[in-house]
Amino acid sequence: MTTIPVSWYLIVSALLFTIGTIGVLVRRNPLIIFMSIELMLNAVNLAFVTLSSYLDSADGQIFVFIVLTVAAAEVVVGLAIIVSIFRTRRNIDVDEMNLLRG
Amino acid sequence: MSGPALIISFFVLAVASVASALGVILFRNAVYSALSLILTLLFLAMFYLQLGAMFIAIVQILIYAGAIMVLFLFVVTMLAADPRDPDLQDRLPWQRGVAAVLGLVLVGALSYLLLSGTPLNEAARAHGSEALSQVVAQQGNIQAFGQALFHGFSFAFEVTSLVIVVAILGALVLGRKA
Repeated sequence: MTTIPVSWYLIVSALLFTIGTIGVLVRRNPLIIFMSIELMLNAVNLAFVTLSSYLDSADGQIFVFIVLTVAAAEVVVGLAIIVSIFRTRRNIDVDEMNLLRG
Repeated sequence: MSGPALIISFFVLAVASVASALGVILFRNAVYSALSLILTLLFLAMFYLQLGAMFIAIVQILIYAGAIMVLFLFVVTMLAADPRDPDLQDRLPWQRGVAAVLGLVLVGALSYLLLSGTPLNEAARAHGSEALSQVVAQQGNIQAFGQALFHGFSFAFEVTSLVIVVAILGALVLGRKA
């Protein structure tokens, strides 16, 4: 169906995943760390869809569907945690969050 | 679409998605990062269209670029009142260089593995009535997806609803006034 080699898509996916990893390592705003995690999830989704199309099977697309749901749940809980940390600490810098208690 | 047009569109999408992904981690302003992430998600949806996964592309735009990113933007605008940018004073300045080196190692290792790994076994391909392209040709794209979801993965689909309920309850508990 497609004439593009499957490894090209996978390399784009690897690049996006690496950019997400560097974002998690470098940035200290938890919101941007969250966005980087979303980027990594999406890079994996691209690999799933690529292999689903290459193997001519719908399974990869279903994994993407499940990952999407889990990502939505993760964002809801994570953003709620960030908002409640902001309420108690008045600032959001991950380097200053070194205690598990409020 | 086939031949050169497909390859040109692949490269345009690849460059655009990687550039907008770099924007996510390079912009100082969190709102710009969020908008850049929305762009990345839209480009990925176009990749999915190119790969023939129409339902996933539409869900990507509706749920990711629509719902999830709106939630992100709400929280970013809510918390942006903090005058001092947390990225201005860096306690561990050396970690940027380390992160860049580790990132290069990661992308090198992933690319090496993807390019030199064992080629996918032809036997792993679905054949006959199992093949996705067959079902798509006979019944359509979304029907093929729904059939695969409800015939093979109905339990996972039901568990998904449990995950969402737990997330809603968690957000309620965390959002309560303490």
